[in-house]
Amino acid sequence: MTLHLCSLLQLPTGSTVSIHKIEGINPILRRRLADLGVLEGVRIRLKGKGPFLGPITLECNGQLFAIRRKEASRIEVNLA
Amino acid sequence: MSAIALVGNPNTGKTSLFNTLTASYEYVGNWAGVTVEKKIGSLKNGAGKLIDLPGIYSLHPLSRDEGVAAQYLIEESPEALINIVDASQLERNLLLTLQLLEYGKPTVLGLNMIDVATARGIHVNSEVLQDRLGIPVLPLVARTGKGCKEILSLLGQSADIPPVRFKLHYGEIAEAAITSIELELQPMKDLPNHRWIALQLMEQNPVVLDFLKSRMDIRKLVKLGDACQSELQRKNLALTLPQWLRSVRMDYIRSLCLEVLDRADQKPHNLTERLDALLTHRFWGLPLFIFIMYALFKTTFDWVGGPLSDLVDGLISGPISEGANSLLGFLGASNFTHALIVDGIIAGVGGVIVFVPQIFILFLIISFLEDSGYMARVCLLMDSTMERMGLNGKAFIPFIIGFGCNVPAIMAARSIEQPKDRMLTTLLMPLMSCSARLPVYALFAAVFFPERQAFAVLSMYVLGIVFALILCKIFSWLLFKNESSVFMIELPPYRMPQIKTLSRSTWEKGKGFLRKAGTIILAGSVIIWLVSYAGPGGFDVAMDDSYLAKFGGLIAPLLAPLGFGTWQAGSTLVPGFLAKEVVVSTMNIIYHAPDTTGLENQISQVFTPLSAISFMIFILLYIPCLATVGVIKKETNSWKWTFFSMGYCLVLAYTVSFLVFQSGKLFGWS
Repeated sequence: MTLHLCSLLQLPTGSTVSIHKIEGINPILRRRLADLGVLEGVRIRLKGKGPFLGPITLECNGQLFAIRRKEASRIEVNLA
Repeated sequence: MSAIALVGNPNTGKTSLFNTLTASYEYVGNWAGVTVEKKIGSLKNGAGKLIDLPGIYSLHPLSRDEGVAAQYLIEESPEALINIVDASQLERNLLLTLQLLEYGKPTVLGLNMIDVATARGIHVNSEVLQDRLGIPVLPLVARTGKGCKEILSLLGQSADIPPVRFKLHYGEIAEAAITSIELELQPMKDLPNHRWIALQLMEQNPVVLDFLKSRMDIRKLVKLGDACQSELQRKNLALTLPQWLRSVRMDYIRSLCLEVLDRADQKPHNLTERLDALLTHRFWGLPLFIFIMYALFKTTFDWVGGPLSDLVDGLISGPISEGANSLLGFLGASNFTHALIVDGIIAGVGGVIVFVPQIFILFLIISFLEDSGYMARVCLLMDSTMERMGLNGKAFIPFIIGFGCNVPAIMAARSIEQPKDRMLTTLLMPLMSCSARLPVYALFAAVFFPERQAFAVLSMYVLGIVFALILCKIFSWLLFKNESSVFMIELPPYRMPQIKTLSRSTWEKGKGFLRKAGTIILAGSVIIWLVSYAGPGGFDVAMDDSYLAKFGGLIAPLLAPLGFGTWQAGSTLVPGFLAKEVVVSTMNIIYHAPDTTGLENQISQVFTPLSAISFMIFILLYIPCLATVGVIKKETNSWKWTFFSMGYCLVLAYTVSFLVFQSGKLFGWS
């Protein structure tokens, strides 16, 4: 299987992908994401981008949540 | 008396269930982190105590409210647990359930929001779930009370809840470590389930680690865990031990969900999708938020609250005052009693009661926002602004609650993960204009800006936020060296608040105001009237010769550069520290005003529009009230920060009022 990797932030709104790697994220945030089941291998959907370069909205396991773009850029996803 | 604890993920309806199962009422809302403290109530059927705990995702706490829940489970020993799970989010919720089952106490699983799940086409087979986990599973709708009777009757015989036999196998390597740790724990008394302790220890749960550290030497235990971890790494099974335990649990949950969940007809959240497309729109989101806030104030002052307040005012100044007058005359009351009741109590307390309708309307709208799910979206919209100021968007929920009262708002800051963000939110809270300050604005706006009352009052709130943001930047830079903040917020599905919840939640907020009217405002009014009635020359002196005037006269020169250097204005500020409402009570007493119109006339003679603005700003900023000071001390656990919050407010209020008044004068306004 070939991997098409890019950061979560580069995706167009509305796309669903699977998480390849979460790296270099603040440990508190990483724990919070894990609490919501946002882990490597999980499907995630980019719902929307907030105003003034604000947070982006994501959906994972049916749960909606928002994180900042800086952090989203450190989530590497697999387009395939 | 047996104790039963409610445990579950944030925003799954624990407090709603708590309110139904007990006769008490606690704060509910639609965001993660409403409950930040342990709450205790008595079960309606007298079967024992029910303990409501803050929501947690795992037993490993990140924020302070989560620490409360983890601490409770290890230090106290409930007879049974009710684990509330969100039926539409089963997978995520079960991760906590497994850890609770390992805790080993009899447990009931409350499958809540079964209506939401069904509406979304998610079907949960509760019989299979019950069978696999080996504990009673009860479908529930806590908001409407469906299924609560069954829970209550089950708890009626809490001894009958079967003990938990659930045991997850973590693989040979981990199981060997668990067994050796359990062996080490053997001699210890009064510990919760040893297997649970061992597992939490291996997950490096800080609460469990600290608890054990205080009772024994844990180095050996930690070594056992480390050895297990290297073994797992050597076999390429996992990078860390906590990760391994988690993945075993996740695998189990996944296979369980395959059996239990039928998601064939799953639909997206249609309402939530559509509302979010509008309310969190990248261009329209913020203007809509500002519009909603404007509508909030417009309703409170112009559309509904204002006219209602006028009705109450008519009632107090008319039938009630006159009735009291004639009754006192009929009873032959002395001049002193007569004056005390009419000029002191009715003027002082009545002057504040007039604002009850406006305050209740404000609380009603805030309750609506809280229960709808919009609060979390506000955090999202405000985050980029807040980030620039060194804080995060999550602080906005406490800020909006602060518009009602600063005390619960400071408590609400507990759900913010980073200590620095929590501290900043707490310190800045006094700048959020609470409902107690509202009578002052309402009074002055009615006198000087009758056409634009809502706008004038809204500007005060906006001013408070603007100063909070500016100071946030400064404090973050000076005191916290711009330490970065993190932001993540769960966005719950929107829902239509129920009338029952709304009326209850409005009443609970407003009750405090009424209670204050009967206690601190009443007492304040009597004392202020007394010191205005008595003076160095004896009783019944002219107001200008009273003790109150002498005292106010001491402060007045300090206030002269701000435009309100009269003893009358000066003497309102000190009692205002006890409760901000007393500022208006004091004015009513000082100006001997029979009704609001009378008071407005008096005020229009003493203040100019410019000095009125300066006074309103001063009241907005000058000091957190006594109750707020108390809660700041409690939450920061430091007198230094408490005095700091009082000090910066005073300096800020003086500076801003001074600048506004003096520059206004330069421009020739007065």
